[in-house]
Amino acid sequence: MKKFAAAFAVLALSAGVAHAADDPIAIRKDLMDANGAAAAVSAGLLKGEIPYNPVVAKEAIMTLRGVAHAYGSFFPAGSDKGNTKASPKIWQDAAGFQAALTKFRTAADAAAKASGKGGPADLAAFKAAITPVLGNCAACHRDYRLK
Amino acid sequence: MLPRIVAAIILVVAVAAVAFWYLTMPRPLDAAALSQYGPGDAKRGERIFWLSGCSSCHARPKSTGDARLQLAGGLELKTAFGIFVAPNISSDKKDGIGSWTIADFANALKRGIAPDGSHLYPAFPYASYSRMKPRDISDLFAFLKTLPPVAGKAPPHKINFPFNIRRGIGLWQLLYLKDTPYVRLPENASAQAKAGQYLVEGPGHCGECHTPRSFLGGMKPDEWLAGAPNPSGKGSIPNITPGKGGIGDWSEKDIAYFLESGFTPDFDSVGGEMVDVQQNIAKLPASDRDAIAAYLKAIPPLPGAYTDTRDSGH
Repeated sequence: MKKFAAAFAVLALSAGVAHAADDPIAIRKDLMDANGAAAAVSAGLLKGEIPYNPVVAKEAIMTLRGVAHAYGSFFPAGSDKGNTKASPKIWQDAAGFQAALTKFRTAADAAAKASGKGGPADLAAFKAAITPVLGNCAACHRDYRLK
Repeated sequence: MLPRIVAAIILVVAVAAVAFWYLTMPRPLDAAALSQYGPGDAKRGERIFWLSGCSSCHARPKSTGDARLQLAGGLELKTAFGIFVAPNISSDKKDGIGSWTIADFANALKRGIAPDGSHLYPAFPYASYSRMKPRDISDLFAFLKTLPPVAGKAPPHKINFPFNIRRGIGLWQLLYLKDTPYVRLPENASAQAKAGQYLVEGPGHCGECHTPRSFLGGMKPDEWLAGAPNPSGKGSIPNITPGKGGIGDWSEKDIAYFLESGFTPDFDSVGGEMVDVQQNIAKLPASDRDAIAAYLKAIPPLPGAYTDTRDSGH
């Protein structure tokens, strides 16, 4: 019986490792890291620390847009527990959280559309496209992240 | 003839009651102090308004844009002492502060007392505003008078016993209401850091959230800005000293950029209650953000007792 229990424990442990890859908390952190990197590129361009380049600008927009579309899928029930700063409000006020995600997606889609095939033509066009997208960071973190 | 023990008890209670009454008396500004409050300049007062974050508590909860200037109150602050409800401070004569004099206003900010002499709860951050310069208070008062009157009183506070006895706040004020600096800056601190000290410790009232409190609810000066539990629920308020777990690896430029844009050096964004604060500070002249940054680099580095701020968990 003891042996069985030990074997079961090993099995459970390895199952845990196998599932780490689709741990929703880990995935949403990775997605937000991608957002952070895109925001860093955007700020670098806006501040003139990175010389303006439409292809780079478009890459930042498309990263944010990709995250905007994927992000909401990684908050299953129960994923409020663990190493996360997700606010319980995400689950308590699911409609409000969905509305915030929709705002983010809508802004990112508009920026993607405005940037065209080759990316926003100049810094002014990029600024107009990206500013409403970046405004969603704080707007959503205000209510739905603990800090 | 009463037994001696009963007489002794009555005497002790009477002395305690008189002492309590005396110690908890409102202590308003005297005439000499009040003479420093001249007619304010509303235009200059707008800067003080954003710096002091009046709208973060007194605007109608969740309002945006120009509605942030309708100071109807109503925001609930849920604390260990009970629920404080931000009052109406619009220019409405009946429900707001439209009928207040500058002396009333100065006594509220500097001494924590209402026009009727009753004590205000320190949820209104007068333990910081007490450091404000008279001119800034006059200017702020002039600006508030330009904002629209909004009718309707906010609901009353819901405070637990014994904190619902307002008179007792007088004792709290004896302990915690001071107008001296919270930290001593190094002798060679720059003029910019000294300017930042005023902004942070006075009108900006940063310590009210970023400094942990004693069980009586007073800020602990030896843990100044070292981070604290979030009074309004889960999570914690970050350590913003240059110590371990703080923001020692942020440059002055990083701090100023965060206050302007809401982005940290690794491009996490501002969150929680700080979103409002950051958006207020973004409205100030860049020189104010630079001064705040210089001050935050000059204060004593302290290890935060609460969680690290930089783990960008989601």
